[in-house]
Amino acid sequence: MATYESIFHALGLQSWCESGSEQSSGPTSIADLLTQNAGTDAPAPSIWKLPFPSMDELHEACGAFPQSRALTKSIENGFLDIKDGLSLVLDPITQPLSWFLEGALWLFETTPWWIMIPVLLAIVLLVSRSRRLVVFVAVCLLTLAFIDFYSFAAQTLAVIFVCALLCVILGVPIGIAMARSDRLQRMFIPILDMLQTLPAFVYLIPLIFLFSVTEPKLYGIAIILYAIVPVIRLTDLGIRLVDKDVIEAADAFGMTDQQKLIKVQIPLALPNIMAGVNQTIMMSLSMVVIASLVSAPGLGVLVLRGIRNLELGVGLVSGLGIVVLAVILDRTTKLALARINAGQDR
Amino acid sequence: MSAPAMEPETRIEIRNLYKIFGPDPAHALRAVRDEGLGKPELLEEYGHVLGLEDINVDVKAGEITVIMGLSGSGKSTLIRHVNRLIDPTAGEIIYEGRDILGASAEELRRIRREEMSMVFQKFALLPHKTVAENASMALDVRGISRDEYLGEAEKWLDRVGLQGYGGSYPHQLSGGMQQRVGIARALTSNAGIMLMDEAYSALDPLIRTDMQDLLLELQQELQKTILFITHDLDEALKLADHLVILKDGRIVQQDEPQTILLEPSDPYIVDFVSDINRARVLRVRTVMDRTTATDGLNIAGEIDQEENLETIIAMAKGDTRRTYLVKDGDKKVGVLRMETLIKSLVPTEASEDGMRAR
Repeated sequence: MATYESIFHALGLQSWCESGSEQSSGPTSIADLLTQNAGTDAPAPSIWKLPFPSMDELHEACGAFPQSRALTKSIENGFLDIKDGLSLVLDPITQPLSWFLEGALWLFETTPWWIMIPVLLAIVLLVSRSRRLVVFVAVCLLTLAFIDFYSFAAQTLAVIFVCALLCVILGVPIGIAMARSDRLQRMFIPILDMLQTLPAFVYLIPLIFLFSVTEPKLYGIAIILYAIVPVIRLTDLGIRLVDKDVIEAADAFGMTDQQKLIKVQIPLALPNIMAGVNQTIMMSLSMVVIASLVSAPGLGVLVLRGIRNLELGVGLVSGLGIVVLAVILDRTTKLALARINAGQDR
Repeated sequence: MSAPAMEPETRIEIRNLYKIFGPDPAHALRAVRDEGLGKPELLEEYGHVLGLEDINVDVKAGEITVIMGLSGSGKSTLIRHVNRLIDPTAGEIIYEGRDILGASAEELRRIRREEMSMVFQKFALLPHKTVAENASMALDVRGISRDEYLGEAEKWLDRVGLQGYGGSYPHQLSGGMQQRVGIARALTSNAGIMLMDEAYSALDPLIRTDMQDLLLELQQELQKTILFITHDLDEALKLADHLVILKDGRIVQQDEPQTILLEPSDPYIVDFVSDINRARVLRVRTVMDRTTATDGLNIAGEIDQEENLETIIAMAKGDTRRTYLVKDGDKKVGVLRMETLIKSLVPTEASEDGMRAR
């Protein structure tokens, strides 16, 4: 006799339980088999062994009570039910993402290395204004190319380029809207908290159901969802932290809201926004590795190969390649940030 | 600071202005008006803060009106009502014959852009813009082209003593120089009214004196209508044509500074003025005998009625037996005996029931 049977008896639900027990045709669990094998001598009930009245435990006492397996199953079914409708809406909306990613990958792969590397170095110089960094980046890229990792690194950069750019394009306006409305901020913060704490693998699960694994937008969305949080948060924070006195001065001189935003708030929030962009780029890099599970190209594929085939050398070297890319991206954006900060020193 | 021949017109009229901070100001306002609750009672019984209570001030064109009060007296709140950075709970602010509180957002922006400029205690300059760009903020906001406004800004930067600093950034300048930029910004907007919110409170005493002199010098030339907030009585007396003393959101006394010094109406003010250098504030016209009969007097010289007493004492080299003829321009207006002058300098004692007695 199950522990909680008496409760159902007391509640007079016996007939309901019995009506359900015939239908319970779920697979027998190992635990059931074990108790069957152990014989029928039920141990004397002890308060120390009282099981928690969980769904499974209650199911044992009353056949009509659903097992916890039913809960996960119904969520799955619910998701599958709305899946078609959802992807009907989401597919066209997210289609441009696939095009961007395919375009960027094509661009980075077809441009010959002797154009690509100088262009990248020129961008680094333009953003950081530091020759030392350019030399460092040149050494890193040439080394990666020398050990035949160039095309993988270029793919990773292409994906990060598109995803980080979209994060900024979407994240900064969201951050600004949050800074302007307390209500919007209250609504968004739990969503951002969730996006930030949800394990990276969990993003992939519903996305795999919604989109075809062969499409680039699948990993594009996963990367953007994962990496957009810091740029939103720091834009919101940066704009809220703008000196109240300066805002008051802007008001006193008759600025419109738009003028205030463009001439005062965004420039003064720029150090924070740039810190957010830096974080966003770093997070897209970490996600691009995980997203290789769902066909994201680049160095992550090699890491995955290292794990799958136990190719230790490939895994380690491509991991180091990712570190090198991370250092390059971080240093470049940090120096850009430092330049902005220097301009606003008080 | 010359005494105007005729009464100047009123530029801004503040009428029965109330400001109450709290969740339900309208309800608290009724309590203040009907039951006559003061600041502490209102806070205790209704949980609302009485910011301003029944303020009536006429700001005259071309004059410096100084609002003085200690921190928490509501002076910064008051000045922010004039350009509506803060909306009042009740009352009127009449500017050019209309209640500014009824102005639409559009009109209000026009007034703020073209007719009222403001100088802030903490300078409030844009750190990412150059000094010249900061100075021309008002013009930029109006949509005037960059070439045009930078020229205008340079002109005013020169005027406040910042020649050649146009290309610097605010953080490269000292506090005093930053506030000069703040003043240049207000002047470049070419507004007739300047609101100065504790503009000099963050500066060192010496630099503050410099800046006060600069303001008086500019004022002689430009004749702006200035509303100046300060917590420093010396500064108030030096700058004011009309002085308003605020305490706990209420006006204690408002008058010409001379009158306030000689006839303080409240123990609070008596305490305030008791350690002021009276000779520097009082002017000949306030202490002279209004007579043109000079017969039998040994006139030592002629003085202008606007001179302050310190100058006269220096002129007389401390000789108390001299008598001077007082003139307003070319007209004889009175006689000043040095004895009378000395008597006027006797300080008022700190009052028995004033704040010092406590």
